[in-house]
This record gives sequence, structure tokens and C-alpha cells, in this order.
Amino acid sequence: MTVSALAASAPAEEFGHLDEQSKREIRCALLAAVAVPGYQVPFASREMPVARGWGSGGLQVTLAVIGPQDTIKVIDQGDDAGVNAANLRRLIVSSTGAADTTDARQASIIQTRHRIPEDPLGPDQALVLQVPVPEPLRGVERDMRELRRMHAEADYSAIWVSLYEDLVHNGVITQSTGYPVLVDGRYVMATTPIPRWDVPKLDQAEFLSLFGAGREKRVYAVPPHTSVEPLAFEDVAFQVERTQGASCLLCGAVDAYLVEVPARAGWICSDTDWCQRRRPSENGEDGDHKAVDA
Amino acid sequence: MGYSAARGGLDAILAAEELMRAKRDGGSSPALGIDQLTERLNLAVDRVMGEAGLWAPQFAALALRQAEGDIIEAAHLLRAYRSTRMRLAEPVTVHADELEILRRIVPAYRVPPGPQLLGRTLDYVGRLLEVADARSGPRPADPPALAGPEPSAPPPEAPELPELPELPKLPAASAAATAQTVRHPGRLLDLLRSQGMIRDRRRPDDPEPHDVTRDPVRPGVPRSARLSVMARAETGALVNLWYRNVLGPDGYIHEVTLGEVRHGRLPVRVVHPVTLQPVCLGAVRVTEVEAIEDLDGADEERGLFDVGYGLCLGHNERKAIAMANLDIAVERDGGRSSLEQSVLMTTDGLDASGFLEHLKLPHYVTFRSMVDRKAAIRAAARQRAAQAADQASEASEAGQTSAAGTAAAVNR
Repeated sequence: MTVSALAASAPAEEFGHLDEQSKREIRCALLAAVAVPGYQVPFASREMPVARGWGSGGLQVTLAVIGPQDTIKVIDQGDDAGVNAANLRRLIVSSTGAADTTDARQASIIQTRHRIPEDPLGPDQALVLQVPVPEPLRGVERDMRELRRMHAEADYSAIWVSLYEDLVHNGVITQSTGYPVLVDGRYVMATTPIPRWDVPKLDQAEFLSLFGAGREKRVYAVPPHTSVEPLAFEDVAFQVERTQGASCLLCGAVDAYLVEVPARAGWICSDTDWCQRRRPSENGEDGDHKAVDA
Repeated sequence: MGYSAARGGLDAILAAEELMRAKRDGGSSPALGIDQLTERLNLAVDRVMGEAGLWAPQFAALALRQAEGDIIEAAHLLRAYRSTRMRLAEPVTVHADELEILRRIVPAYRVPPGPQLLGRTLDYVGRLLEVADARSGPRPADPPALAGPEPSAPPPEAPELPELPELPKLPAASAAATAQTVRHPGRLLDLLRSQGMIRDRRRPDDPEPHDVTRDPVRPGVPRSARLSVMARAETGALVNLWYRNVLGPDGYIHEVTLGEVRHGRLPVRVVHPVTLQPVCLGAVRVTEVEAIEDLDGADEERGLFDVGYGLCLGHNERKAIAMANLDIAVERDGGRSSLEQSVLMTTDGLDASGFLEHLKLPHYVTFRSMVDRKAAIRAAARQRAAQAADQASEASEAGQTSAAGTAAAVNR
């Protein structure tokens, strides 16, 4: 057999884009991540058809765990129609034949950038979070050798001191998104830049959370029923984003993550599908919007 | 594709894609042939292969055309393509002495061992824009000129070997001994070594090259990992990191003396699955540099030189020189500064440009959270100011002093 014949015998398009060796390797790393909650597992991040920083880590995780029977939902900022979400969904669906949905309740895998859906997720669902910066301690330490030591020895004094100084200087803890959490009482973990609003959803969750950082070549995980505590002081409560009097212009929600619409001097839900389902049925002619085209 | 709610984004990206295609594949001039790129824009093709870390001239040219000349984008296309391909074999390590030179210069000696072979270089071609030639010369629309051979340039100091087809045959092992010496000259380093002038850094604990595509790097990795990272790095990133350490605020690299600058061909061998013998699959062109470093630190062996090494795919001397200089700089630094981390973590073109460009993605969820914190900080400041004012008035009313309060907890 010649080399070219051998090469030609490989399928032109692999299931899930990556070759099987690569997917196995990513699954191995994910298993290690699930076994050691919150620990950043190095993996041989492949170059994907999307740029580093554009969900290449989340995409690799999704493609490594997805099967043809899965139903995928992809959101960016909570929006299924975001252009990057649309591109990632297109790549996943076209390379796997998996079904897609915008309804978080129907998805078996949800790949997301910056949000956890408002719908509660269950034990048969996996959340794949795209991670730009997996290192929660980078703000207090730049040297990777020292960072490794700090995690290994659970030496988290520097980040505690930084939170304390923040509080003293500013009167509040000013960390906005990606709030650091202690996972399973052991590892401090970066919560991607999900808003603080979503952080409590990770604690003792029913679902599996898989975090993929493609550029920095790390994966980590929060298995179901694992404690995830935001780093906070006993006498200074962890605060989520909340604006007095704000409610969604479209569905009226108060108890959801709202984003501001300055042009209309109001707020709307960032989780677009959840919001749409809650709206009064005046858009009844659009009521079949959840029917599958394919 | 699925649902109307997600349709808007998809329609938008399809339309954007169509705009890209329309301009690139349309236009009034003839379509750009792949051989035009490999023949006439070969330095760009080489750079794409070098930064992709994959020798595939035809695919690199294809990528360059598809990316409309954007080198990093083309390197991305090539790397992403390779991600989909099973690895069929691992090459056998070849010694760089097998390099068959097309060009070799030794700045350290007027008459070095072996030839000074200028070969193909732009170094001494006047940087004069050939405006007149462009006007009178063959236009892209002239099909005969495209098909015809290039007017041959006067031969360089040594006759240029013909450019390689993708999988060329190496010259037979029985090539004339003289040609063998000319094309495989000894190294200046060998001379310096024989004189006992070079620090011996051979070590047994890094025998196989660390595969950076399978084993992610972090500071403390073996030297082979550092060399592999730089071999795939973005040219501009290496040049900048080098120059930053020459003239910038952090670190100091002094200028090395180049012992070898080589451009040539290296054989690629794999172990045959049946005979279990190494078999030659072809060759790759590489640029190789050895940088002789003057050990001038107080704690260094002042009587010796050391050497930095650079090697990358294709003809890219700028990159290989920066690489060799950074290699020895990291070695000498010995982990005292952040130079190793900078070399390992910040020089990949895909990583840096992808992350930079991700700033174009929507960030309204995170921005809303930041706005929330700004409001909280301002509210806390107002509260503190109000408390301070209260305390001041109480103090003046009661005629007594009170200690300034510490930060009050915010209650929103």
C-alpha cells in the first residue's frame, strides 16, 4: 500500500470535524477534568475552523462529546442568533448531523459564551462554556511557574488579599464577570466571563459543566452536585447584577439577567429564547417558531 | 438549519461570506493560479508554511489565495486543515548536517570553512520600486506571458538548484564528492568546537523533540519545545520580541554574531511500516541559523562562546535569526526573567491575532456587568461621603472628635 493510498483511505470529512485520535485525546482530558473538579487540565488544543478566542476550545469540547443523537443549542451572550453562535452551530450541525434547537430544555448539549440559560438544566444535559482566560489568579500573578505552585499548594492568599484590598479601596468587590469561585473546596476556578448572576447556578448543579479554553490549551469541569462557592467574605455578601426597577421590555421579566437598551431607555433579557417563550401570545402568528425545519 | 429565532445571525454570516467570495473570485483580471503563487510569491507561501508549521506548498498557496493574501489567515486555514487529518507516521529525526544548501553565509569569518554562497537573496538588490518595468512588462491579463518562462536572471555566485516539486527526489547518494562538499559544507561551530571555544550544552534528558502540537507548553519545558514553538511562531512576533529586548524597557539581549545562515533542503524520512527501515519521502526547504553568543556575564564562562539555534520551514531568514538569538537569550536568562514565558506563550500568530480579533465579538453581557460594578462603586463612594459628612457634623455639634470610619458595607 502506498502512502497516498493510505491517505486516500481516510474519510474526506470526519464525524465532528476532528479526527478520532484528537477527539479521544480531548475526552481523556475531560475525564481528568471531571475527576478533579476545577483543576485546569492541559490538552493539545487543535486549530479549529474558527479563530482562537472565538470559541475554539468550546467547539473542541463539544465535538469531542457530541454524538449524532444529540441535540445542540449554541448561544453567544444568551442569544441563539448571535453571528458567532450561528457560525459555531453551523459547524457543529454540518459535521455531526446532530439536531439543533434554541430551547434550552430540549438540548442535550448547550455550548455557550458568557451565559448560562435561565431555564434550569437537568442531569441529562451538559453545558459547554467557551473560556477566554482559564486562569483565575492571573490578575494577582503573571508568572506561570508561580501560578502552578499556587494551585498545587492551594495557596490562594494573594487573591483573597486582592479581594480585601478591592473592598477597602472601593467599598465593594469590583470584579464584574468571571468571578473566582472555589470548587469542591479545593481549586479556585475562573467562571469564564459569565456574569455573577449565573455563578450560583453552578453550585450543586444537576448538570455537567465543561469549560474549554482553546487558545490557552486547558479544559476544566464542574461535575453535577459539586460545591461552587464564590470567593466572598463572611460579612460581605456576594452580589449579583441587579438594577432597581429594571424589567424586560419584551417579557416583563424582573428575575433574569437583563441587558440595557439605551435607545429605548430600558432593559431586555439576554436569554432570547427564554424571553420569547414568556412573551404574551400577541405574536401568535410566529407561534410555530420552534418547529424544526429539517 | 433549524429555527427562525436563530435565523437572523445565519443569514447575516452567509451574506458576509457571499460578499467575500464575490470580490475575491470575481473581478476583471484572470483568476490567480496556484502555480503563480508558488512561483512568484514564494516568500509569502514559505511564510505561511513556516507559521502553519506544515510543509505543503500547494495547500499553502491555496490558503494564501483563499485568504486574499492575509498570511496569518492563510496559516490558520492550513493548520485547521491539518487538524482534520489523521497522523499517519512520525518522521525520523534527521541531523541538520544533511541540509543541502541553496544559500549559506558566515558573517563571523571572511573566509570560513566551506563556501560563502550568496544564492538567492534580496539583501543586495536595491530597494527601488520597479515602476517602469511594471508599466512596460507583462500585465497579468497577458496569457502568453503567464505561460512562458520567466526571463532568466544572471546566475548567482553558485548555480541555483531548480525549485522543488512537492515530493522531490534527493540527489543520489553517489553524487560527486566535490558537489557534496559544496552543498554540505561543515559548520563554523565545528571549527569553534574543535578549538574548545564553545560551551558544551549537550544533555541526555531531551532526546526526542517535544511535540508542541500534542503536548502543550509552559515555562520549564525542554529546549526542543521552545525551538518548536518559535519555528511555528509568527515572524513579526519573534522580530518584535527580539527588538523589544534590544531596545525596549525589559530585558537585554545583545547582538549575536551569526555563525551560519543557511537556506537549503532537508530530507524527510519515516520508518517504513513493513521493512521497518527509514525511507525518504522527500524534502523540505528550511532556513537554519546558528548564532554565536559572547558569554560576557559575571557568572558565565567568559572564555567560551555559546550558540543559539534557529530553524524554520521555508526561506525566512528574519525569523530564523530572531529565533536563534532568542533561543540563546532564554538559555542565558535561566528563568530569571519572564523571557521564556514570553517566547513560549506570546509568539504564536494564531493565538495572538485570534484573541485580538475576538474583541469584535459582542460583549454586552460582560459590559452590563461592568456597568453594574461602576454604579456600585459610585454608590459606595456616595455612601461613604455621606457618612463622613454626618460624622463631621456630629463631631462639630457634640464638640468631640470621632475616629474616621472604615469602609462601610454597601447595602443596595
